[in-house]
Amino acid sequence: MKKLLRWLMALAVAMVAFVGVAAQPVHATDDSLAKIKAKGTLVMGTSPDYAPYEFLVNKNGKNQVVGIDVEIAKKIASDLGVKLVVKQMDFDSLLVGLETHKVDMVLSAMTPTSARKQSVDFSQIYYTASQDIIVNKADAKLYKNAESFVGKKVGAQTGSMQADLVKQKMTDSKLLGLTKVTDLILALKSHKVEGVVAEHPVAQAYVDHDKQLAIVKSGWTLDPESNGQAIGFAKGSDTLVAAANKSINEIKKQGLIKSYTKTACDYMTKNTANTSMFHYWKFFAKGVEYTLLITAVSVVFGVLIGTLMALMRLGKNKILHTIAVAYIEFVRGTPLMIQVMFVYFGIGLFVDVPALTAGIIAVSLNSAAYVAEIIRSGIDSIPTGQTEAARSLGLSTRQTMTSVVLPQAIRNIWPALGNEFISLIKESSIVSIIGVTDLIYQLKVVQTATYKGVAPIFVAMVIYFVLTFTLSKILGHFERKMQHD
Amino acid sequence: MTKPLIQINHLVKKFGDNVVLNDITETINQGDVIVVIGASGGGKSTFLRSLNLLNQPTSGEIEFEGTNLVGLSEKELDKVREKMGMVFQQFNLFPNMTVLENIKLAPMKVKNQDDAAATKKAHELLTQVGLDDKADAYPTSLSGGQMQRVAIARALAMEPDVMLFDEPTSALDPEMVGEVLKVMQDLAKSGMTMVIVTHEMGFAREAADQVWFMDQGVIAEKGEPEQIFTAPKHDRTKDFLSKVLAQ
Repeated sequence: MKKLLRWLMALAVAMVAFVGVAAQPVHATDDSLAKIKAKGTLVMGTSPDYAPYEFLVNKNGKNQVVGIDVEIAKKIASDLGVKLVVKQMDFDSLLVGLETHKVDMVLSAMTPTSARKQSVDFSQIYYTASQDIIVNKADAKLYKNAESFVGKKVGAQTGSMQADLVKQKMTDSKLLGLTKVTDLILALKSHKVEGVVAEHPVAQAYVDHDKQLAIVKSGWTLDPESNGQAIGFAKGSDTLVAAANKSINEIKKQGLIKSYTKTACDYMTKNTANTSMFHYWKFFAKGVEYTLLITAVSVVFGVLIGTLMALMRLGKNKILHTIAVAYIEFVRGTPLMIQVMFVYFGIGLFVDVPALTAGIIAVSLNSAAYVAEIIRSGIDSIPTGQTEAARSLGLSTRQTMTSVVLPQAIRNIWPALGNEFISLIKESSIVSIIGVTDLIYQLKVVQTATYKGVAPIFVAMVIYFVLTFTLSKILGHFERKMQHD
Repeated sequence: MTKPLIQINHLVKKFGDNVVLNDITETINQGDVIVVIGASGGGKSTFLRSLNLLNQPTSGEIEFEGTNLVGLSEKELDKVREKMGMVFQQFNLFPNMTVLENIKLAPMKVKNQDDAAATKKAHELLTQVGLDDKADAYPTSLSGGQMQRVAIARALAMEPDVMLFDEPTSALDPEMVGEVLKVMQDLAKSGMTMVIVTHEMGFAREAADQVWFMDQGVIAEKGEPEQIFTAPKHDRTKDFLSKVLAQ
């Protein structure tokens, strides 16, 4: 036990050292602009659930991020003579993406608040919108402006400027923070909240597409500095910021925002021309493909690593044993969500791991810890007489394990292993937070695209059930095959 | 002149402070059939399992065919154990394999025999123990006596130089003891070197060349069966035999 403690301490020290290294600022001279030009791509991070600023459309079966912000980013990229790459993330993760250099800039209708300015450099403001409150049409008459929401619950996107506004200006209302605007709208329609604070173009887009919604003007007069939207860059990117400001000046001078808005709205009408779930089957199919891919790869690696860990834990070598115990306990003691983020953003500091790979690594490593414990219990369940008989026949330790103990152990643990695989299908959904287009992610995409809340959830639920039920039937088939008595 | 197959020198086994084998020095010759008897807890099984080092001795030597086994690596021990067949009280057949697969496993894995040769040999051995018709059955469908005969065939498949029997009939229903003892008796007649821990006094009397009486971690008395059973010298031998034979 003491030894275990020492190992955990060592692990903790290593982690602190790791984070220490990660947190060190790395800009001696500002070469941000030169770097972008050298690599020839400008990576934009955005949370595409905020039409008309950024949202997803289906172009030839592929998700594409479009919107006013994307048009602005395109302009900046072409002014720099580089290619624009769009990376999708949760709004919450965008600033982390900047810090860890997953993205070069953030365009996500972000307001340059003083809190954000401490960790991010901002361009000049490129657009200023008024704030609206979306309400259910039936209740529209109850509210005149923001002050009418005293004692009511109001929704806003977590980490957004709207959430701050609710805290500052609607002190008598209760704030419900959710990551996605689509979820906020769902909350509104199911009366979890009475209003959702959003910028005017966003609110207008929802109201245009949903006859049950209406707009209430907030009635706030806001300081443009704390209300407008700007582009976020990593700290110390002065040259890059200057280049972006130049492009923004041109956009303002030529009044380009208007034509960008029109482009975005054209996409929106096209997007919502047909909002039946069947029309979006390709979205769901892609989600299923990724969910199955992540699950299948993770099952294979989870079982391989898990078996290795189980053998290390059962083995005589004290060091290997301790490593295995520390690994299993640590992984089982931390949430999968944090592990996914750690692999993507943390490891990503040193090596650039694509989101899908990061997701697969995290889910595999996580599953390995659980599989290790299942396999260990399976091996423990085989009587020592089996090992003795095998060894007395001259079989080596390894042959005894592979020919005699493991086949029997696997038979014993099959149901438990099956549960693990089934829960893996469901738990892999967590990778959606880093933008992997699995089923959950696609569900949100469809929600955003169709302005429908519940129908996509129902479709995804049915699909998940079909997947898990099929798997459970297949596992049952093999279980029966393994029974001899 | 018989030649020593196993030479045991000053064998000691302790579990913590509990001395289970207390300085045993004995010789087992080629072709010997040795039956070890004695009360439970006397160290009989520990002694037998020390011979192929399933139990690691605390000190002393086990010389098998001229090599001291104590201190050998696991890998070297694997080579030795091929030649020392062992039959267990609980049979320890592999439940995930058929009877035939149980027998073929070690010859194919350890001796790299091809499937055809191993299958042929397995059928011969099954015929020898009278169970060739059960070749494709799984162990769970067999009776205890049948399982133990398969276990004997499995050990014989490696063509061992000595067979160790650890109470082979103790887990059997009485009506099945006979069929197993019969196979063992045939084996003894064929000249196999055997060390048998058992409570079957009738078998000991009939099949053994020597009977060793084990008590409190030592071989308290040994001799030909006739002498041990009719004229035991040691008090504890007398006491043990009077209790067992009275049943």
